[in-house]
Amino acid sequence: MNHHRAGRLLSAYVDSELTAAETRAVQEHLLDCAACRDAYENLRAARDLLGGLPPAEPPAEFWAAVRGPVMRGAAAAGALGGWAGRLRAAWASVARFPWPGIAGRRPGLVLAGALVALALAALPLVKGTVDRLHATEIGVDLYVHDHALQMGTAPLVDRAYVGLVAGDAELVLAGNAPRPIGDDVR
Amino acid sequence: MMRLAAKAMTAALVLLIAGVAIGAPFVPPAPPAPAAAVTPTPRAILKMALDAPRLIDYEGTKIITALRNGRMETVTVAESHKRPNLLRLEYLSPEDVAGRVIVDDGTTARHYEPALNMLFEDRSIQDGGAGAAAGLTLLTRNYDIVLLGTDEVIGRQAYVLSLTPHGTGVQRQLWVDRLTGTVLRSEDRDASRGLVLTTYFSRISFSLNLPEAYFRYRPPAGTRVVSLQTVAGGTLNPAQLQRQVGFPVLVPPALPEGYTFRGGAVSRFGSLVSAYLRYSDGGNIISFFEAPAGSIGWPAVGVPVRVQSQPGRFIDLGYFRVLIWEQRGLRITAVGTAPSETLMLVAGQLIAGREQALVTDVSRRTEADPATVRRLRSEGLTFPEIARTFAISHALGTSIDTTVRFVHGSLSVTDLATQLRMRPDALRAAVRRAVDTASMTPVLPAPAPSGPPAGLSTP
Repeated sequence: MNHHRAGRLLSAYVDSELTAAETRAVQEHLLDCAACRDAYENLRAARDLLGGLPPAEPPAEFWAAVRGPVMRGAAAAGALGGWAGRLRAAWASVARFPWPGIAGRRPGLVLAGALVALALAALPLVKGTVDRLHATEIGVDLYVHDHALQMGTAPLVDRAYVGLVAGDAELVLAGNAPRPIGDDVR
Repeated sequence: MMRLAAKAMTAALVLLIAGVAIGAPFVPPAPPAPAAAVTPTPRAILKMALDAPRLIDYEGTKIITALRNGRMETVTVAESHKRPNLLRLEYLSPEDVAGRVIVDDGTTARHYEPALNMLFEDRSIQDGGAGAAAGLTLLTRNYDIVLLGTDEVIGRQAYVLSLTPHGTGVQRQLWVDRLTGTVLRSEDRDASRGLVLTTYFSRISFSLNLPEAYFRYRPPAGTRVVSLQTVAGGTLNPAQLQRQVGFPVLVPPALPEGYTFRGGAVSRFGSLVSAYLRYSDGGNIISFFEAPAGSIGWPAVGVPVRVQSQPGRFIDLGYFRVLIWEQRGLRITAVGTAPSETLMLVAGQLIAGREQALVTDVSRRTEADPATVRRLRSEGLTFPEIARTFAISHALGTSIDTTVRFVHGSLSVTDLATQLRMRPDALRAAVRRAVDTASMTPVLPAPAPSGPPAGLSTP
């Protein structure tokens, strides 16, 4: 893998979003390329830093300021009819919110914030779909994992072997390793 | 007369001294014969091996050779154990597992993967000897246990024990340390593929005072912790399980000889909810995972097969075999060490779905109330087990619940004999006679009827 391609894949690599083959290729490149190693360390540090931040809560007056005008606006927008009216009313209410500093003067930023909030609200739905897709892929590994753990409680079964099988399956369940299959005929 | 005797004794003494002086061989009196070394019975050795984790601490290096990622691999592990149930495993090689650490306190197993800087928290991979009694009962009942002799492993004397299942599953050979009962070496053989797993200690030390802190794992800073407690409630019966998962739970009508229900659980991963039934013969386990067919897709791996004309998929993982099939809205996955033919037969009987017909048949044969047969099915018993339960209960005059505990292996022959004030030998003979009369050949699969899944009738 060349330096340019590895650089483009680093972010996905940090987030464990690459295929097993891409992961291996990036790892091999990192062994040889000091610049990419630095970039990787910076990305990982940034991810850890962001991951450690507490979730930000909007101020309490935000919801009151949004809810009231939206309700009034929705009634008034009846004449406009349908979603278009509601959207205009909602937009007007958001624009009227006394945003501190620059936000009050930049309604575009406010809109972007609202879209992010909407995306966050929809996350459980998206996550459910992703979970289902993931379950489809990992079914066998999940069951082998559960079976191996139960085997560990049987007498005279070697715990180190059980730990090996269950550990391998856990990596697959976390999306971080190739599927441990004996007679792959895909 | 006395003078003559004295002369004779003097002469003898002189002759004896003369003999020593001229170098004649002196034969010392034979020492008293040593008491013959008592060789313990195979059962006693097995019990010693089962009890060892609760009594012995050790630290050693173990070598595992097993099929992994499609080929035979050798894995080296530093294994430490502190009684009764603290375990630490540090994988040293090959490279892809080097640095993996599993620390288990008997409740939670924490698995650290250094390459990912991730810590997985999961259920314990041991029972700390809690199931040793039931394990011993099932093993002695379902396995031929033979002492093959003694052998030396890393300079220690060991009993070599062979455990061959009466039914199907891997045959195990154990090298049990004579002094501590620790299994120093083991070999698992599959009937069709030979040796599938070997483990042995290349070094071991006993009687160490390992600090408890060694069995608590503190991951490095920045470690991502992932909770993978996928299985909950391992002691549910199928009826309770059905209520929890909200879809029909199917119980296998018949299983290979010796396999008995050991518990049910709910397996959850993301949106995938599965009912998990576990059957064991003491040494091997067959797991059944049942989930609504729409909640999980067909895996892209394995060999396509047909089970009773239904599409299925068979995956050979080396030590484990996996058979997946669908029937009436459920995706069922069986995992175990049993041969593929056995898994196919079990699947075929489940697909046949003759639950009600078999309830009627067994009730008629055993002169039992169909409601009681259904109740026992909802507790996970197979039909041959139910027939056996009624036959033993009739023969011994024991209650159904007590007999079920006996059939499950929760009650040993000795315990039941004590309860009944019988000699264990007499009890064994009576049980054998009763079981012979009740022998019920597993019913061959019939074409699957259409319609909704029968599941269990909840009592």
